[in-house]
Amino acid sequence: MTKKDLSRRHFLGLALAGGATAGLGVKLSRTADSEDAGELAQTARARYALIIDTTKCTGCQACVEACNLRNDLPEGQSYIHGRVKGDEHLTWYLMVQCQHCANPPCATVCPTDATYVRDDGVVLVDEKLCVGCKYCIYACPYDARIFDAQRGVADKCWLCLDWVLAGGEPACVQACIPGARIFGQLDDPDSEVSKLIASGRAKPLRPEFGTEPAILAYIIEDPAEEPGGEG
Amino acid sequence: MHAQWGWLAAIYLFLGGLGSGALAYAALFELTGRRYEMDRCPEVCPVTLVGSTVSGPIVAAGVVLLIFELGAGLREPWRIPLMYTHASSAMTWGVWLLTIFIPLAFLYGGLELMHVYPSLNAWVVERLPWGVVDPRDGTYSPLRELSLRRIKRIVAAVGGVLALAVATYTGILISAVGPAIPFWSTPLVPFLPLPTLPVLFLISALSTGEALTVDLAATLLTRGQAPRGRREHFIHLGLITGEAVVLGQLLAHAFLEGGAAAQSARDILIGAHSIVFWVLIMVLGFVIPFIGHVYAAGRGRHQPITGLSSGASLVLSGLFLRYLVIASAIHAFL
Repeated sequence: MTKKDLSRRHFLGLALAGGATAGLGVKLSRTADSEDAGELAQTARARYALIIDTTKCTGCQACVEACNLRNDLPEGQSYIHGRVKGDEHLTWYLMVQCQHCANPPCATVCPTDATYVRDDGVVLVDEKLCVGCKYCIYACPYDARIFDAQRGVADKCWLCLDWVLAGGEPACVQACIPGARIFGQLDDPDSEVSKLIASGRAKPLRPEFGTEPAILAYIIEDPAEEPGGEG
Repeated sequence: MHAQWGWLAAIYLFLGGLGSGALAYAALFELTGRRYEMDRCPEVCPVTLVGSTVSGPIVAAGVVLLIFELGAGLREPWRIPLMYTHASSAMTWGVWLLTIFIPLAFLYGGLELMHVYPSLNAWVVERLPWGVVDPRDGTYSPLRELSLRRIKRIVAAVGGVLALAVATYTGILISAVGPAIPFWSTPLVPFLPLPTLPVLFLISALSTGEALTVDLAATLLTRGQAPRGRREHFIHLGLITGEAVVLGQLLAHAFLEGGAAAQSARDILIGAHSIVFWVLIMVLGFVIPFIGHVYAAGRGRHQPITGLSSGASLVLSGLFLRYLVIASAIHAFL
């Protein structure tokens, strides 16, 4: 092997390493509270819970309107979408938004690691890293993500984190007319959300997806919704 | 869910399959020595020549389309290198794989061209500081230790393995979304957690690669005088039939699963996508090529008319298969 061969290989190796390091450098320079979604799945315990009581939800869509207004979403797009369930004797409404999962497939499939899980369990999209490949939109089993064509990025419920961190509640919770949405701190065992979850009345939606919803939970009392229902 | 991936994504997947399949065939002919059997393959073997030279450009064109499919990444292209960084994402595996495969494919094409056109070989080697003339027969080689033919074999072997990986990866990318799109993660056999799509896309890639290199290039460039090889055309019949069987398995299992997967299968067989399926995939992708390849297996080679019709319809059906898989996606029912 000639000296020239060695230096050629050296250069190629350095170029590849340099490129990979640059990419990693951009990733690592993200804010301190973002961590790799894989690690967090084992250690995080969500601090908040947002429980939707479907026995009270009237399908009025006030939550959807409040969310759309608050987030200035384009016409025809919402972070929250609803499904009509049940039958002519017992009709109820399932309002679905990002479940803020502990094991979110949207974070797993994101090629740039733009979607991440915070220490407090909230799943966010770092817009500066999103390339708009739309892979996450296919990967969410709850169909909770939208693609904002104007900005070219994926987007979803962010739990109105600014209000929550200031001690308030998300827009959808405040807007709910029949009081079907309950928000609270899981750290407080006396909070209504803690009691509802401990009692088993509030449960994660579709746990068989394996995504471990960490913040959203539902009170559903329709016998047709027992495990083994339609999927 | 609003449909997100459309024709651009379908074409990108198709080009990935076609390009990798074409190179896989070229590599197969190179490594089995078919390319050098003087009594069976004329000096210029269309399968390896066409397969190796078009593969790189075809897959590269697919990547260009992928970039145009991006949202913010297209407007701010400096975000695109970030796609190399997230090891858990199948899309990251893909960009790494393509980054290695595409230059290798171009290299293989260049080496094959150099082998077929000795004057090009001489021209290139004279300009390389590390090129040599083999004193035994006066041929030029890019490297002192290895003849051009040996270099080609190494590149073909690595390229061939990567080509199979690229072809399979297109299916892995789609099925990796998991439970969110039940039709895409339908298993091949009920007991194994092996999704159908990677297998289907691999067979389809090999089939479209065969169609491009053998049915079209070899038949047309030799004006119907390609070397006879009945066994080879029986293998092609096997690919065509195998693809139909796997596609049938996919639809059958989707029905059995119920829910969103069954709805996708219904749409394909009798619903909104049924014309694409029955005409553009079953007739173009199975009936016409089957007849053409039965003829070729019987006679030992294609005539221009059977090669053209089988090849063109197989290639087209490969495109529509990718489109159908994407268009028929339905989110899991909640």
